[in-house]
Amino acid sequence: MVFTSHIFLFYFLPITLLVYYLLPRGRNLFLLAASYIFYGWWNPWFVGLMFFATAVNYACGLVIAREAVGTPRRKHALVVSIVVSLGLLGFFKYFMFFENNLNALLTVFGADALPVLQIILPVGISFFIFQSLSYTIDVYRGDSPPVRTFSDFACFVALFPQLIAGPIVRYNTIAAQLVEREHTLDKFSSGAALFMLGFAKKILLANAMGMAADAVFAAESPGTVDAWFGIVAYAFQIYFDFSAYSDMAIGLGRMFGFEFPRNFNAPYLAESITDFWRRWHISLSTFLRDYLYIPLGGNRRGEGRTYANLAIVMLLGGLWHGASWNFVLWGAFHGALLALERKLGGGLFEKAPRPLRVGGTFVLILFSWVLFRAVTLAESADYFQALFIPRSASGGAILLDSILYTRGNLLIMGLCAVLTFRRLQAHDWVERLTLPRVVTITALFLLAIMTMHVQAFNPFLYFQF
Amino acid sequence: MDATRTTKMASFRDMFFSAKPTLLFPSLEGLGVGWGMGARNNPPPAPPGRGVPGSRERFPKWFLAAIFLVIIAIEGPVQALLDLRSEGRPQVLDFLSQAPTQDNLRTFESALEDNAWSAEAVRPAMQYFRYALGEDLGAKALAGKDDWLFYRAGAEFLMQPWPHAVEGGGTDDPLGAIVDFRDTLAQRDIALLVVIAPGKASIYPDKLSARIAETDERIYGHARAFLDRLAEASVPTVDLFARYATAREGHEAPLYLERDTHWSPEGLRLAAKAVAERVIKEGWIPNGTLEYAIQPVEVSRVGDVLRMADSPYITARFAPESIACAQVTDPATGQPYADEAEAPPVLVLGDSFLRIYQSDAPGSAGFIAHLARELKQPVASIVSDGGASTLVRQELARHPELLHGKKLVIWEFVERDLRFGTEGWQKVKLGD
Repeated sequence: MVFTSHIFLFYFLPITLLVYYLLPRGRNLFLLAASYIFYGWWNPWFVGLMFFATAVNYACGLVIAREAVGTPRRKHALVVSIVVSLGLLGFFKYFMFFENNLNALLTVFGADALPVLQIILPVGISFFIFQSLSYTIDVYRGDSPPVRTFSDFACFVALFPQLIAGPIVRYNTIAAQLVEREHTLDKFSSGAALFMLGFAKKILLANAMGMAADAVFAAESPGTVDAWFGIVAYAFQIYFDFSAYSDMAIGLGRMFGFEFPRNFNAPYLAESITDFWRRWHISLSTFLRDYLYIPLGGNRRGEGRTYANLAIVMLLGGLWHGASWNFVLWGAFHGALLALERKLGGGLFEKAPRPLRVGGTFVLILFSWVLFRAVTLAESADYFQALFIPRSASGGAILLDSILYTRGNLLIMGLCAVLTFRRLQAHDWVERLTLPRVVTITALFLLAIMTMHVQAFNPFLYFQF
Repeated sequence: MDATRTTKMASFRDMFFSAKPTLLFPSLEGLGVGWGMGARNNPPPAPPGRGVPGSRERFPKWFLAAIFLVIIAIEGPVQALLDLRSEGRPQVLDFLSQAPTQDNLRTFESALEDNAWSAEAVRPAMQYFRYALGEDLGAKALAGKDDWLFYRAGAEFLMQPWPHAVEGGGTDDPLGAIVDFRDTLAQRDIALLVVIAPGKASIYPDKLSARIAETDERIYGHARAFLDRLAEASVPTVDLFARYATAREGHEAPLYLERDTHWSPEGLRLAAKAVAERVIKEGWIPNGTLEYAIQPVEVSRVGDVLRMADSPYITARFAPESIACAQVTDPATGQPYADEAEAPPVLVLGDSFLRIYQSDAPGSAGFIAHLARELKQPVASIVSDGGASTLVRQELARHPELLHGKKLVIWEFVERDLRFGTEGWQKVKLGD
């Protein structure tokens, strides 16, 4: 089920809200049941997988909490939690990648390729595995108390607002809210407003830009102008898609009394790549910082080790997004830029005026999106060629203009640019709800619902991760 | 202690007129758990002398929450009532009557969305709004120049790479399926002639793209390469692309309808003539002797691409095309041409390019009738809309008697079906 679908908006959400607020007790248990229905809507069998990961991490958490600090059993329980969680992730997400690369290697040496086991990637597995892991690690470190009941923990892992695409909610962020949380009009209305704005961003902006980007990336031989149009469209698509999902997730969370961490903060206004990672997918970057970069030693073990740690974190961050060499290269690209900025003691465009710092950083990010969006390294290379070697579209790709440069696309791209570069953030906008804002939000929401009824293109990019 | 278990219902007045963040529904207030980011979203204190403290600030929040709930909650009950009235049972209950498998869930969800009253109510106007504002005709259609409209899948086939040489005999391998069919027919002493109908965007790219002039080359790289592969495999073909390109250079009448995916009467006559020339030249069948007559008939057609936009408001913006057709008639009886399933030596297989003007209005004025006229003898035919890649041969397999006495099968399919053919390109076994 996706948030921008008919069934979620008009059936699942109102029923869930109604029952939730009518229940005098057992609301976490009800949210758990609703979350399992939400998740099982893709494939009912995946609920079993999630339940297994939940049960293992819950049991490990119990052992960790019960044993005294420093005992081997405590450590063993943590190891079991990490091995099982990452084992599941590795099998479902990376096993086919491993098999394909092994086969490629075998073919190079003249051996026969092995049969490839076809594995279906459970949607959102990277998110719920990371969240489960954060629990056992937080309890092990003493950062969080152990959870009271299995249903509370299962509710935390499966909580449908942020289950599929984040923000990644760490256990210690939400532990207290699982026990007690407020339901106020302020909270509900700001949550509804955030959901409505996120919904509008996704339907009105991200989907239109996505269709344009898809057309260019699918084309056989796009021209240079087409390629630039396509990558800018993709940059807007991924931002408005993912941030819209986060807005909707945070908004839904508020409607159910939760407060999830903010995930975006005007990322394309970043003045350096370091700054970008403070603004983009904040829940992932802080997760990687706290559970990987700092345990690796962070910047406390000398310059060389700092760069190595940055590289490891970004490479794994790239791989977290998907099992392909493109994502590895994407992570390496960002890791290299982060290391370079650290070496220089500031951004690459440090001495330039602010518009150039923002513009230069945005262009670097565009290049990284080529690696992120293209399916193969060869496709990335072709796309970079189209970006940098001036050429006209050829063959059938000459028809691309009929899809790309329509009044609608130009209008929406302009709107995206204005919203992106004017620091207008939905998250901030709903903090003070005035009547004109409410009218605007409602109008946008209604327009988005009407548009949803005529849109066939409605993917969520981060579902695949 | 579970806060959600120990509850206190805020009064209506407290909830909507208090300056404090009152409870929306039963829960505990004031336990200090709220905005995790530290920024508690309390409304600012009301200015002095403004009546009930905070009421002005609370009204927008109340209003927004209420309108949000109304918007999301109204659809289901209204739909259930409408379903009860029309079907006697709310469609949403289908969810409970099926096993929750992945397929059933998808089907249920699609049906619920497709039949939604709200969708049916807003779709036509919304589609029109998007067209008027942004030239957006929806997922299936593209707006071209001079009010020409194009089928999106046809244009995408040209824009995107297509591996001309798919190996392995899978359903992505048209060459494998065609060669297999050719060989199956050859065992029965029947020849196969393949006719790829050019897509509209291949022949009229200048009507779709502002970057192409009328005099520029046509765009049919994929089809050209595939025709070459068919020639290498010794599969006889008729190259309509070259014929049409020449016809366009000669500024003849349009070969396609402006707001339809299909060829015009002029286009189909040219195709029928080209195919007949090849058939006669090869001597696959005995020469016919019937001299069919031509009856001019005018029909009016909205166009299937325009219909794909799914909005009567958009349709109303375009006048239906007036099409001068040539109906083929039997001079002896004056009756429109009709197939003869068993007697003739030619069987024609194909898609909607064979259906238009033939079984559609005005009837007997399509490719099949004009081919019969050129061949001077009736033919048999099987037509499957959008199903020329596989479905039409499966239909033939269900009616093997149609092959009795045949010397030639002419197999037409549209260019884009090389990649997007319904059910792919399966190898089909023909019965005895």
